[in-house]
Amino acid sequence: MILSPGDAREITDRLLARSKADACIVKLEGNDGANLRFARGNATTNGAISKLSARVESHFGKRAGAAEASGRDAEALADAVARSEEIARLAPENPELMPPLGPQAYEAGAGYDAATAAVRTDRLAAEAKPAIAAAQDRNVDTAGYATAQQSFTAVATSAGLFAHEPRTAAEFTMTARNRAGTWSGWAGVGETRFGRLDMMRIGARAIDKGAHDAAPVALDPGKYTVILEPSAVGDLVGWMLWYMGARFADEGRSFFARKGGGNRIGEKLFADAVTIVSEPADVVAPEPTFDDEGLPRRRTVWVEAGVLKNLEYPRFWAQKTGHAAIPRPRGFVMAGGSASVDDMVRDTKRGVLVTRFWYIRMLDPQKLVLTGLTRDGNFLIEDGRIVGPANNFRFNESPVAVLANVLALGPSERTRGGENEDSLAAAPTLLVKDFTFSSRSDAI
Amino acid sequence: MDRRRFLKYAGCAACALGAEHLLHGSGAAAAEAYGALDPAARLKLADMALTLAKGAGAGYADVRVGRSQAEFIRAREHRIEKFDAEIRVGFGVRVLIDGSWGFAGSEVIDEGEVRRAVALAADNAKAARLIQATPIVLEDVPAYQEDWVMPLGRDPFTVPASDKAEKLVAINEAALKAGADYCTAFFWFVREETLFASSRGSRIAQTRVRSYPRFEATAVDKQSGRFATRASLLAPRGAGWDYVEAQDLLGEATLAAQQAREKLAAKPVAPGKYDLVIDPTNLWLTIHESVGHATELDRALGWEANFAGTSFATPDKLGTLRYGSPLMNITADRSQPGGLATVAFDHDGVRCAGAEFPIIAEGIFRNYQMAIGQAALIGGARSNGCAYAESPTAFPIQRMANVSLEPNPQQTSLEDLFAGVDDGIYVVGEGSWSIDQQRYNFQFGGQLFYEIKNGKRGAMLRDVAYQGRTPDFWNAMDGLGDASTRFVGGTFMCGKGQPAQSAPVSHGAVPARFRQINVLNTERRDI
Repeated sequence: MILSPGDAREITDRLLARSKADACIVKLEGNDGANLRFARGNATTNGAISKLSARVESHFGKRAGAAEASGRDAEALADAVARSEEIARLAPENPELMPPLGPQAYEAGAGYDAATAAVRTDRLAAEAKPAIAAAQDRNVDTAGYATAQQSFTAVATSAGLFAHEPRTAAEFTMTARNRAGTWSGWAGVGETRFGRLDMMRIGARAIDKGAHDAAPVALDPGKYTVILEPSAVGDLVGWMLWYMGARFADEGRSFFARKGGGNRIGEKLFADAVTIVSEPADVVAPEPTFDDEGLPRRRTVWVEAGVLKNLEYPRFWAQKTGHAAIPRPRGFVMAGGSASVDDMVRDTKRGVLVTRFWYIRMLDPQKLVLTGLTRDGNFLIEDGRIVGPANNFRFNESPVAVLANVLALGPSERTRGGENEDSLAAAPTLLVKDFTFSSRSDAI
Repeated sequence: MDRRRFLKYAGCAACALGAEHLLHGSGAAAAEAYGALDPAARLKLADMALTLAKGAGAGYADVRVGRSQAEFIRAREHRIEKFDAEIRVGFGVRVLIDGSWGFAGSEVIDEGEVRRAVALAADNAKAARLIQATPIVLEDVPAYQEDWVMPLGRDPFTVPASDKAEKLVAINEAALKAGADYCTAFFWFVREETLFASSRGSRIAQTRVRSYPRFEATAVDKQSGRFATRASLLAPRGAGWDYVEAQDLLGEATLAAQQAREKLAAKPVAPGKYDLVIDPTNLWLTIHESVGHATELDRALGWEANFAGTSFATPDKLGTLRYGSPLMNITADRSQPGGLATVAFDHDGVRCAGAEFPIIAEGIFRNYQMAIGQAALIGGARSNGCAYAESPTAFPIQRMANVSLEPNPQQTSLEDLFAGVDDGIYVVGEGSWSIDQQRYNFQFGGQLFYEIKNGKRGAMLRDVAYQGRTPDFWNAMDGLGDASTRFVGGTFMCGKGQPAQSAPVSHGAVPARFRQINVLNTERRDI
């Protein structure tokens, strides 16, 4: 359920008025969305989902507690205020508890599109149908997912803050597998605006990748030159950003810790071409304009020309260390270049083009080494041309090494990650040397 | 209980809360019937939705109305940094019209919203028909009228907040005292109450509770810049506060801190092929990934090809595939006490209490896990009760039962398994985990690793991960602990589906020995 700023404020005002605590933070969240799934050319599941919840955090001195209730039942919401106070009274003191924020100034966000908010399942089905039909024409099986949703977040505090932001999101992903199950291709994009999703084009891309009957070339594990498409790049960079907390670095338990104390802000860690930014006003991958506490998100440069420029500073750690508070990144844009995939293929003597990754997990936080697998579109490149499908691999590799080994970048574009359906990233295709494939995967 | 507590705290608070055009006030009939969501209100809501669904042309319809309660409390070192208590309500309506599903769900509960949701579900079914080449056909499911409540010791939601907070801080302080530089601990408690009602006449109310205690100690060597963590080996369970209290949390925290520090100086593993003895605190996750997911029928049918993946265990291999050695017996159940997937009925309304079935028998692949509408596609008769939706507002899909490795009927201890190894590694606790989309290539880390030399456990190793191919790995198993070595691991957060859903599931396991498995050293020296 979506509440306008006025309606949201009416509820947060009432809840704050009920508060008996020293300080109180109320957060409202709601969403309305439609989704549609299909497989083997048939609809499987779908849904029209409406959610609404209120989270109330109460402070008594340095004691804090929070309670959340869904729906819009007045008693349930009032009960959340009372429960949060009960917890806060019984909780031990937290010396690091920060008081609620007062009024803030926010950048104009670019994360909402009224047309997207109006999309229903019938529209999803109508736009997916031609892509499914095209797959049948090319004799491949399809499985896919389409969704469009709107949401809002409102944060209000007893210190006078009120913030409200509407957001929209849309997505189409499709997998195309040959009938024998011996090869598979995928394409997918997440967007703020449904109108930017071209399902037919995404579907055609998945079909082009998947419609191969030749057995994949069997490659041995080892170091390869790779062309990583934006989905794969977005996943690796997203994992790295998740581990970019200043506190862990300062405490000596992060790749971004400096040996002997402190962190590595200011060090050149990556190739010159690597710049990574988060920005609410970015039209391709706009971050939300504030975080859970109502702290403004502003344009933040994480990496510029290969140099680490910023880490995440929660409010307490920022105060303790004398930095400005920087919220945890919710989305990012990795700057691109001008190289086309054709250029990269032409410049590759022997390598692998990777469509996307799957099941990425941390293997060694000390060096930020991740493990994961390639999936749905590995292609062997030899002597400047794509030879054909190649087997999938497991990789054990660090995004730090990948971003240090960048040889060329394509234009940055909005991606959809392998696992994280809330990914909010724009990334380029990268040509990278010495990527570590550690074992072969028989999976198709 | 909420309602009583509300009245205790707030009196006629809803009247004072106002915002009448946005909120349901306590004086209104709608709030009496739906807002409190007591059992009578749930039945009334479900009956209304089913009547509306029939009127909308549904040949079949089901409704789930639910209320969930959760607490998540996290301590970092000496302080509580998060104490969140959540109560969510919601409902979901699923209709089958002319062979297409339509679903709608909402967390807003009133008569108008029920009408809106049923209409949306019917619209969705009509929309889906556009891409429904083959109509969905459901098997018959008997109608049940039952009220099942999981046996529970002490309800974690009745334990004072201060007791939980103090225990978490005590865990951290035990770890810090024993040499950890940092420690984070959490308790996570969930209660699920669900009413399932179907057009076939079922009215099934179920309540269950789960508890998850966990911590992680970190040791830092500032001179070398190295750090090491050791997470607890505690499992989440379908149990209450008594389960948490029965754990030696402070002893485990002390040991974890000592072992985190020991890891800093442990010998790096030399990569190669080793015989492994895998502790059940690690093996439960390998079972989950390489057997549990691989034997889900929706995956094998290609329904998860776009996200969770398919499976190498295709229907043509049912009954013939040698999945593992003859020692390998894997059973699915939704009945074992303490199991996170233990319920009497699944979210399709299929009875699963006492209906365990073999997935692997003496190494041969025997059965898939199924939801309704799937069995006939491989020549079967009916679902075996493996549907679950993470909330009432989520579409039920096929999810995992408790999937467990049966103990060796022959008396076999952990030491007996070591005795058969000249040069091997003993792996303890779950660490990094990853597996491909057809469940072939997996790679697992762990919390602790030890050399096995000449039949005895030896020195600690670090930077170990083992990597294998599912059928090769399970066929390399030649030793298995007996029932006295059994441990039940599990997770609250098994992910699947689009939109993604989480499911809780347990896995019984015993220590097992695997011959000549690929072992990696995970450290990168060039970064």
